Amino acid sequence: MIDSFYLAWRYIVFNRVKTITLVLCISLVSFLPFALKTLLNESEHQLMSRATTTPLLVGAKGNSLDLVMNSLYFSKEKPDFISMKAIEKIMDSYLALPIPLYTRFHARDYPIVGTTLDYFEFRKRTISTGRAFAMLGECVIGADVASRLNINVGDSILSSPENLFDLAGVYPLKMKVTGILDKTNSVDDKAVFVDLKTTWVIQGLGHGHQDVKTLKQSGDVLSRSEKSITTSAKIKQYTEINTANLESFHFHGDPSIYPLTSIIAVPQDEKSATILMGRYLSEQKNQQIVRPKQVIEDLLGNIFQIKEFIDAVVLIVAMAMVLAVFLIFSLSFRLRQKEIGTILHLGCSRSTVVKLIGAEILIIAMFSGMLCYSALLVLQHFQGEIVHKLFIS
Amino acid sequence: MHKLTVSFIQKNIIFSILFFFCSQVHADESVALNIYTVNYPIKFFAEKIAGKHANVTLPMPADIDPAFWSPKAEQIAELQKADMILLNGANYAKWLPKVSLPLFKLVNTSAEFRDAYIMLKEGITHNHGMGGKHSHVGTAFTTWMDFSLAEKQAKAVFKALSRNKPKLNTVFEQNFIPLQKALLDLDKELTEIGERLNGQPLLASHPVYQYMKNRYKLNLESVHWEPEDAPTDEQWAKLKEIIENHPAKWMLWEGEPATDTVLKLEKLGIKSIVFSPVANAPETGDFMSIMHENIERLRKAVNKE
Repeated sequence: MIDSFYLAWRYIVFNRVKTITLVLCISLVSFLPFALKTLLNESEHQLMSRATTTPLLVGAKGNSLDLVMNSLYFSKEKPDFISMKAIEKIMDSYLALPIPLYTRFHARDYPIVGTTLDYFEFRKRTISTGRAFAMLGECVIGADVASRLNINVGDSILSSPENLFDLAGVYPLKMKVTGILDKTNSVDDKAVFVDLKTTWVIQGLGHGHQDVKTLKQSGDVLSRSEKSITTSAKIKQYTEINTANLESFHFHGDPSIYPLTSIIAVPQDEKSATILMGRYLSEQKNQQIVRPKQVIEDLLGNIFQIKEFIDAVVLIVAMAMVLAVFLIFSLSFRLRQKEIGTILHLGCSRSTVVKLIGAEILIIAMFSGMLCYSALLVLQHFQGEIVHKLFIS
Repeated sequence: MHKLTVSFIQKNIIFSILFFFCSQVHADESVALNIYTVNYPIKFFAEKIAGKHANVTLPMPADIDPAFWSPKAEQIAELQKADMILLNGANYAKWLPKVSLPLFKLVNTSAEFRDAYIMLKEGITHNHGMGGKHSHVGTAFTTWMDFSLAEKQAKAVFKALSRNKPKLNTVFEQNFIPLQKALLDLDKELTEIGERLNGQPLLASHPVYQYMKNRYKLNLESVHWEPEDAPTDEQWAKLKEIIENHPAKWMLWEGEPATDTVLKLEKLGIKSIVFSPVANAPETGDFMSIMHENIERLRKAVNKE
């Protein structure tokens, strides 16, 4: 038997191009359905894990999937904004506790999530190094953000401008990192968390500047009266919030109309959740309330329908591949008639020839299996990232 | 015998479980709430209603106006650990937009009447960068100076405490009812004084009496004077301008004014009356005693007329 394998191995090594082609073809056809299954399982796990732990989401009326994906996974599709009045409405109802989310901005490629400290308690996130944000302009970063950008507690991270060509736009805000979250293998690892009010500063709804009452330079003050001081755009606005200039930061307008992307509503119990949902259905024309689990289940239903279609395609391709492999082997044997004749003339039995061919097929199958398995191991290592890029962001 | 032993063990287990459960409930209810407030009136209400079931802290020093206090990092950390943070609302605590606190723990005691907030019109308007003209004035915040609103704030404190410790609802209610009555009595007394004043002009040394003015129909004009500081010539000139059209005989002061200022005002025919909003913890007395003294001083002045 070992002799058969030795001879088969020598033959395979001699015809290495043909063998490699065969191994690649078989590996690919075997890899595809397994890879698809792995990715779908991971996507189901990732999508459902956060959806099941998020009871209710309130957002602007529109695409409920965009609302859920943005609120749960900080995806780039942004739903229309709602206002802080929605928070007051939920708080006044005493049916649920609201956690606001504002996910409009980015720092490098990482989403800046404006929220309150309640978010960490709700998602059971703990801080591995440092402390939670306590003041305007402070941030807590996810474990992946810290490791990839090589940022530590005490360092700073800059918010990215929304539009590079908007030269008159809001200045980027330099945010001080006060804490790094424990790694949770979730999207929270790849986010920058700030107080909701800090996102409003990034947006320009709040700002800090020199004290206009003490401005002396003639170019800075355009006009001054008892009730009004008009300054020029030269006035120095702060792009970093620290203890020295914190006092100068202020917000303009009515805070109750400041924007949010969504609200996680944590109801007291199932009855409160049902009542709250009923109120939104009957009273709210511009807002919707959804159960993320239901939305994600609908999405997964669609994904699994697509999977069934892809499975059928893969099956047809696999059948074609098996036929092609069969053809390759039969052609190969026809070409090797002379070689097989020599083996028989040397006194080998027909079963030895069968053993030789069997050993060749087995070696090729083994290499294909190993390659397929290795590729699956690599895929499993990166499945979180791949799923995040393919299905979430 | 065997049956008896089993029954005895079962009873023991049941009693142990019941005892454990009861002790847990008792332990939960006996742990005093760690409450922070943003001013003294709310602290007073919380202490009166919660009694021994809460440790109520007013985090700023006694000589600072709580509305304009700013917490340090370690104080923010303490606030973040609180079970409940009772706010006055009406943009009272100017530090609040600059710090991060858990929303779940914040209780706005004036949320019920947020539509009744008084918007201020005066202030420095400036114009720079994005957003056009804007000013840094906002909302009148001494809501408790209208005792009917103070009663609503006390009720909000009572409701928040009851939500947090539902089993102590009866205790809180028993404590709240006399407080409610006392606040409504103050409201009645000041309403009567307002009626007796019948639109007579009054002055206020500081714009902190807006809600009182509205509720008790006081014909009140405010200046920006500090009790401990002597007014400047400019401020005197402005006062003279005001009294030409608003011939007030009394000026309400947040604190005891300087003797020179009192004498100078008397020369103008204006008597000084201390009507303290008691925004921070007083050295002596409490919210109720100080409010009674305030009302008594005002009543005496009106009765002398």
